[in-house]
Amino acid sequence: MNKLIITVLGKDKPGIISLISNILYELDCNLENANQMILQNQFAGFFIVEPSNKMDVKTLSQTLKKKTNTSGLKIHVNTIEDNHGVSENTTGEIFLITTIGPDQKGLVARFSKIFSQHKANIENLKAVFKGGEDPNANIMSYQVFITPDIDTALLFDSLRQKAKELHLDIRIQHKNIFDAINKI
Amino acid sequence: MFEDHEIISTIEMVKNENLDVRAVTLGLNLFDCISHDLDRFKKNIRKKIVNHAQNLVAVCDEVGEKYGIQVVNKRISISPIALVGACFSSDQMVEIAIELNDIAKKVNIDFIGGFSALVEKGIAPGDQAVIDALPRALSQTQRVCASVNVATTRAGINMDAVLAMAKAIKKAAELTSKEDGLACAKLCVFSNIPQDMPFMAGAYLGVGVADAVINVGVSGPGVVKTAIERNLEGQPDLSLGNIAEIIKKTACKVTRVGELIGREVAQKLDIKFGVVDLSLAPTPTIGDSIGEIFQALGLTNIGVPGSTAALAMLNDAVKKGGAFASSHVGGLSGAFIPVSEDLNIANAADKGFLSIEKLEAMTCVCSVGLDMVPIPGDITVESLAGIIADEMAIGMVNSKTTATRLIPVPGKKAGDKVYFGGLLGEAKIMDVPNSNLNDQFVKFGGRIPAPIHSMKN
Repeated sequence: MNKLIITVLGKDKPGIISLISNILYELDCNLENANQMILQNQFAGFFIVEPSNKMDVKTLSQTLKKKTNTSGLKIHVNTIEDNHGVSENTTGEIFLITTIGPDQKGLVARFSKIFSQHKANIENLKAVFKGGEDPNANIMSYQVFITPDIDTALLFDSLRQKAKELHLDIRIQHKNIFDAINKI
Repeated sequence: MFEDHEIISTIEMVKNENLDVRAVTLGLNLFDCISHDLDRFKKNIRKKIVNHAQNLVAVCDEVGEKYGIQVVNKRISISPIALVGACFSSDQMVEIAIELNDIAKKVNIDFIGGFSALVEKGIAPGDQAVIDALPRALSQTQRVCASVNVATTRAGINMDAVLAMAKAIKKAAELTSKEDGLACAKLCVFSNIPQDMPFMAGAYLGVGVADAVINVGVSGPGVVKTAIERNLEGQPDLSLGNIAEIIKKTACKVTRVGELIGREVAQKLDIKFGVVDLSLAPTPTIGDSIGEIFQALGLTNIGVPGSTAALAMLNDAVKKGGAFASSHVGGLSGAFIPVSEDLNIANAADKGFLSIEKLEAMTCVCSVGLDMVPIPGDITVESLAGIIADEMAIGMVNSKTTATRLIPVPGKKAGDKVYFGGLLGEAKIMDVPNSNLNDQFVKFGGRIPAPIHSMKN
């Protein structure tokens, strides 16, 4: 049976992970992967499970919603589709691309468009809080997976050009440099 | 994904704290180029160096671009010319230096080191030819660096060589008098010279090293200074033990960056990776100064009472942090205090905080010696040789490297300004007390015997 992905959204409070994981346990679903994040006070969690033979998407979704109806959480369950033999390019390198400068509308939209045009996958995106009151210290960091078929010179040039247009400082650095400095 | 502070601190290190890789130096063994025929020898060394180094600069730039960390200096060190060119005369040695200079230009590197001789226990004909050639070789070239090792802990000090080097330095200064004795900025006299150091002017490739090897010099002092300041800002009551810990951790990070980039350069060039030299090497730029670290440590200026203790702590912490980060540490690995190359140190000397005597005392606890020190041009050969001998004795007795890179500036006296340009910087000439003596001591010649603790076998 296909694996299922459960998305849980709602106001953060203690006990959300416990609630969801215990329901899944009662339903005999094997939790294979889980990740969560909190943006401001909002919880977002992702759970990939291998359900028991008797369980389908509809039943699991209904059961989860019923058992969490007083929690205020919004829950969605989807089937994870097989790739059906389509091979993904898994070789590549990870770069951290960081823009620093004044906040403005459409920052992410404009840079993510460039990544998309060059078929570079954004694996993680975060606004980094530097602290202080400097409006020019807005930092956006994109962790991007770059496969060998991507023309990095062209991609990096496009990014630098866009940063220049938007009066942003941009840093393009291979992930390993962050590992070398921080992961000792 | 990385934590916010990890991303910010990494970016800050590059953007505001001058984090870079100071030097990637390609070491090349030239023993397979030896020939009795000068033209053939020159042809052989050109072929070998160009073959190995033609992509050095491009690869360093490419790797630097990938990591967002600049490789500032790309250089080459070679086997000592006194050994591989042992059969040549001093005139021919000058020709070799000119050939090396031309090769350096061809492969677009700023310095090539190894116009060198190792004479701690005696001077062979090839060594003598190099020493005799030094003034002309260094005044007729721009990119050739030279070093002569006159002492080791195991062999003692070769005082004949010390005197010969004092004469060579004076002559080299005279031949470049219009450039404030610039030739001497490319000439080091060593005790216990390391055979794998990436930094100039002393870099050469030792005889026990691989045919080709990449040695790396890590980033400069700006990162360490900012780390100290940032931590003291948040916690002003830190003890010196705490501060040493901060330096250690910073040195560890900086070393890992150097090793990462050095290894990738080596891999792309298909050359073995050698060592990381942990030395903090300053430049004449504000924010990239060893002298500023002393001020971050609460001293008025480098040279005031407390400076030697501060330098000892700094040097030790840098070594400990670096040694944890890399299994292959080599070269000098400590802190440099080159006067003209460090704006803050040059200013400290100018304001009278730092004298040549204090500088010498400080070299007891750091990784180099009297480095890039402009001195009055009328210093006698005997006094100059005496200073060199003193510095060599510190290295010999303490089982450590010491060196001198002294520049007796022709026609100028203490307090006059000299300008060497670029990384070599500028400074005022330091006063040298008793510089006019003709004492017999250095003229006795022979060797000062090795200290008792050299007998370790």
